[in-house]
Amino acid sequence: MPTRALSVTINGKLQPVEDIPEELMMLDYLHEYRNLTGTRYGCGQGMCRACTVIVDKPDGSSEEVRTCITGAHFFDGKKIRTIEGHAERGEDGELKGLTNVQQQFLKHFSFQCSYCAPGFVNAGTVLIERLQRQPVDRSQLESVISEALEPHLCRCTGYVRYYEAVRDAVLETSGTIAGRD
Amino acid sequence: MLLRRILTALALNLAVAPAWSAQLDENVQTDKNVLERGQYLARAADCAACHTEEDGTPYAGGRPIETPFGTVFGTNITPDKDYGIGNYSADDFYHALTEGELPDGTQLYPAMPYPSYHSIPREDSDAMYAYLMSLKPVHLKAPETELSWPFSMRWTLNFWNVMFAGKDTAEAQQQFDQWKRGRYLVDVLGHCGACHTPRNVLGAAQSDKYLQGEVIAGYEAPSLTPEGLARRGWSPEALRTFLREGRSAQGSMSNEMYPVFHHSTRYLRDEDLNAMSLYLMGENPPEAHVVEVGDEATADSPGRRHYLNVCAGCHGADGDGIPHVAIGLQGNSTLRLQNPRNLVKAIHDGIEARAFNGFERMQAMPGFANELSDQDTAELTNYLRQTWGGLETAIDASKVHELTQGD
Repeated sequence: MPTRALSVTINGKLQPVEDIPEELMMLDYLHEYRNLTGTRYGCGQGMCRACTVIVDKPDGSSEEVRTCITGAHFFDGKKIRTIEGHAERGEDGELKGLTNVQQQFLKHFSFQCSYCAPGFVNAGTVLIERLQRQPVDRSQLESVISEALEPHLCRCTGYVRYYEAVRDAVLETSGTIAGRD
Repeated sequence: MLLRRILTALALNLAVAPAWSAQLDENVQTDKNVLERGQYLARAADCAACHTEEDGTPYAGGRPIETPFGTVFGTNITPDKDYGIGNYSADDFYHALTEGELPDGTQLYPAMPYPSYHSIPREDSDAMYAYLMSLKPVHLKAPETELSWPFSMRWTLNFWNVMFAGKDTAEAQQQFDQWKRGRYLVDVLGHCGACHTPRNVLGAAQSDKYLQGEVIAGYEAPSLTPEGLARRGWSPEALRTFLREGRSAQGSMSNEMYPVFHHSTRYLRDEDLNAMSLYLMGENPPEAHVVEVGDEATADSPGRRHYLNVCAGCHGADGDGIPHVAIGLQGNSTLRLQNPRNLVKAIHDGIEARAFNGFERMQAMPGFANELSDQDTAELTNYLRQTWGGLETAIDASKVHELTQGD
């Protein structure tokens, strides 16, 4: 199988550049080459979005990308965040703090089997970062959250708790609602 | 035993004359055979595709139909007396169906394919009328069609009809019955030419370019001529499979053709599908052109890299596709169209998930407008068309921009 060098930054760290198969999907690269198994293999067809990671674009914006249907080399030269990159850790890897989205997921107990949770956390995070750049009126918040979370599937149907966690995270983040600090 | 007979008779009566049955023209037969025939003909005429809103009640109208002159809405053709055809006689229905004129004299826009329906015989019209009048009335008013001036002046359609909607009087007496049946299904009931024949500036089909392909709602309804079909890899057998199953080795139904499959062709009997493919491809069809896949399928190139990055996860690194998930790309008809429009727009916009016969379905294809630049899309398009479409021509970023601007 042909290989090609891949250079990608994951969770703020430039990964060792190495030759990987041209046909490898990003999800397999994360699991097999980087031992980052928090990104879930769900449907394998880009439908459920459990495999979502965040891509940080040069213009400062961020977006979700599905890794089960996207080749690893698509991310060459890009910066991505996986679920392992959200919490703040010390030099020794010790947990120092969770993000607001993670805190809200804990507060609302937005987990049942938790398989889809990484995708939802990434979706909520991308939404908040977008709202910080482009605030919306409070009246639009419900529909904006629905639109952001709807593509993500939860087989346990824990949608209400995910929704409430993300809503509280948005409301607790300054700059996301127009006309409000 | 007696009870069973009574119940059976009651059930048959209910099937023939529902409690909500509208006032039928007394000259129209309504026995079970006529209703079944009417249902079959209505399906073959693809009435539901235009007269059913997405996820709406069949035949209750409301579906928007985009035309170059504005949006036309399919009307309610259930037997509702206020908004449907509940007050129509069989004569009224036949006149509207074949002449495009309502009982009150309102001229229909030719988005309703009465120029094709001209040749529907009265007995078929009556069967369709009987079937539609047996449906439960739906008290729902379809949105009013409002076209911009001067197209909003319906009286001008009388001139349009004189110029463009004459009856086809060319009777092919020398042809055999199966060919005539195919012609009736393709030209008249199926009104395939309504989408697949180029139109002039006034929206009339150009008879000298019959079935040579036209752009509908942004996508190309490709050529259905024998040469055009064979060049894209179609055989009569593949065509039948495509119409019956909604998919074949040449691809799957999408865009405006999917409702045609969903509401119409999947219900057609095999002998009718045979007749259609015979009529379209001829008694001695041209041999389907097979694409020879060369080394470029795996050679490194910008197009190959884009393919591996965003396509191979579903369509496979070798283009074989994944059964029940994503179609194969080797020899796919869309890749073989001379005009790259459909392929570029599919890459750019994606394709909705589609259910086919049985439990078969194809997953949604995401659009890559945000992942691929115009240059990337051009490189990917060229790779696909040249590798698995057998085409030599290449497009550039400006062509992609032209095809996708405004999306």
